[in-house]
Amino acid sequence: MNTIITATWKEMLRRKMLLITLVLTALFLAVFWFIADTVALDEGGSMDLLGQFVRRSAILSLGFFFGGFVVAFLAIFSSFSVISGEAEQGVLQSVLTRPIPRWKWYIGRWIGYVSLIGAYALLLFVAIVWITSVHAGMSRNYHDIGISLLLFLGTVPALISASMLGSTLFSGIGNGVFMTMLYGAGWLGGMVEKVRGVLPVEPDVQQTLSRIGALLSLLMPADGLNRRMQYILTQGAGQTIPFLTGGSPPSNLFVGYAVIFTIFAFALGLWLFRRKDF
Amino acid sequence: MNPVTPAIQTHELSKIYDNGRGCRNITLTIGQGEAFGFLGPNGAGKSTFVKTLVGLVKPSGGAGSLLGHPIGSLEARQRIGYLPELYRYPEWLSGEEVMKMHAGLLGIKGEEAQKRIRNGLDEVGIGRRGTDRVKQYSKGMQQRLGLACALLGDPDILFLDEPSSAMDPVGRREVRELLLELKQRGKTLFLNSHLMEDVETVCDQMALMLNGDMIRGGSVEEMLKVKVRWRFKVGGFSPVLLEWLQEESGLNIGAAYPEKDSEAEWDAPVWLEAELENEDQAGRLNMLIVEQGMTLYESAMQREKLEDWFVQTVSGRDQRGERR
Repeated sequence: MNTIITATWKEMLRRKMLLITLVLTALFLAVFWFIADTVALDEGGSMDLLGQFVRRSAILSLGFFFGGFVVAFLAIFSSFSVISGEAEQGVLQSVLTRPIPRWKWYIGRWIGYVSLIGAYALLLFVAIVWITSVHAGMSRNYHDIGISLLLFLGTVPALISASMLGSTLFSGIGNGVFMTMLYGAGWLGGMVEKVRGVLPVEPDVQQTLSRIGALLSLLMPADGLNRRMQYILTQGAGQTIPFLTGGSPPSNLFVGYAVIFTIFAFALGLWLFRRKDF
Repeated sequence: MNPVTPAIQTHELSKIYDNGRGCRNITLTIGQGEAFGFLGPNGAGKSTFVKTLVGLVKPSGGAGSLLGHPIGSLEARQRIGYLPELYRYPEWLSGEEVMKMHAGLLGIKGEEAQKRIRNGLDEVGIGRRGTDRVKQYSKGMQQRLGLACALLGDPDILFLDEPSSAMDPVGRREVRELLLELKQRGKTLFLNSHLMEDVETVCDQMALMLNGDMIRGGSVEEMLKVKVRWRFKVGGFSPVLLEWLQEESGLNIGAAYPEKDSEAEWDAPVWLEAELENEDQAGRLNMLIVEQGMTLYESAMQREKLEDWFVQTVSGRDQRGERR
């Protein structure tokens, strides 16, 4: 399995996916530094706690708006053609006739993607939190930061598992479109949830919007995990009442659903891959 | 390894896809060290059958084994090398790295892996270009790399699906020579090829597949033996002499000549043809021709080429794998 994991890393490095992402991330972080500096600027010479909190939340939202997208797209575009695309190109045929069980190949590829993109997500998380901390201060509650990090990292296996599952079902390019749409639907669910909190509409309309948002978030829970992560970073893990987040953050139940979603997508993908004809 | 155990054995092995194509009820036995040629037009189901044998597709019915191990099992895959028909290696890797990856999948490591990789690349003529990225390889080079990968594990059985289709004439000849050498080393070869010359030169056994069915099978020699024809270019011919020759030799001799108006027109040479069993018969016929005062310009065996046999066998049949 080590051979397959190493080959996956080599693929991502040689195809310059990671390099391009890292260069653009460095550019983003430079811009993000100035954005954070501008947002956090205290013109009056003093800042109350509420003002600092609002500014910190705004900086984190901006940082993880980019962070969530870039991790999602890196995960999707690196793995969307891993099975069907490689089978179409004829890469898989010579590999799968080697004396290794198919499950080892599948898990090796999964670990390869998750570990490398996870490492990138870890660096990005640390960079965004550090920049925010420099300009707007961060709580020193490492428990909350640790849970937030886990939630942020949790989007990677969720996306890779879904992408590899899609790759056993659809053509390479078809799965790319499918996964982008799926992630977009999950993101839209989060936006609906945020927007409904600030819209001046009747309670029953709010409830309908909330249901639509929740259903869309269930299709792909990656963005939901991000929203929960941001909520904990700004409010703390102990908070249960939404505060200045423009809508309800995903609940613990949703996080549990995201874990089940990931396991189910991974297991179904593996099961289909083992039965697939090439 | 028990030498009696067939290298490849299938019993009514089938793989039918949803569109009705594939291969049906293929039963064959190939002994260890034999070279088997699998022929058939495009879409006949040859590649499907090979993919079923190497474990890439699950059979719809029947059974098969490689050296006594069920097809698709790890034990069976441990003993094979496979060169797919349409394949590409990751273009971001070099030839050596591709080989190294395959060595890892085979469980070959360290110095042994390095040695095999070097030898393999040299054997197929890639040599030092092994350090180049695959994306810089021509189709022929990629095919050579595929062959090197197939040979990497020193397999007992080699499945080669169109092994030299993208190569130039020199490359084809080199591959043919390599296949003959592998055969001499006792490897079992299963060759899917449109290149009849490869099959004719390398293989002992062959089978023809059409629309998913194996319609003929046997030794190459046997299949072509009945059709050994001899041709004789003779001068001073006349139809009377032909009758005499037929009576005297007891053979069915044909002659290709247009209608003649006068005896003078028989001066031009004429081609006589006969299906003969052996060279003794040809010698006797030569003697009878000369004895009758005809001039023998040329006497040659027209052994039927596999290509002629192939075209004759499939002509007039549906051969594109249409749904039935």
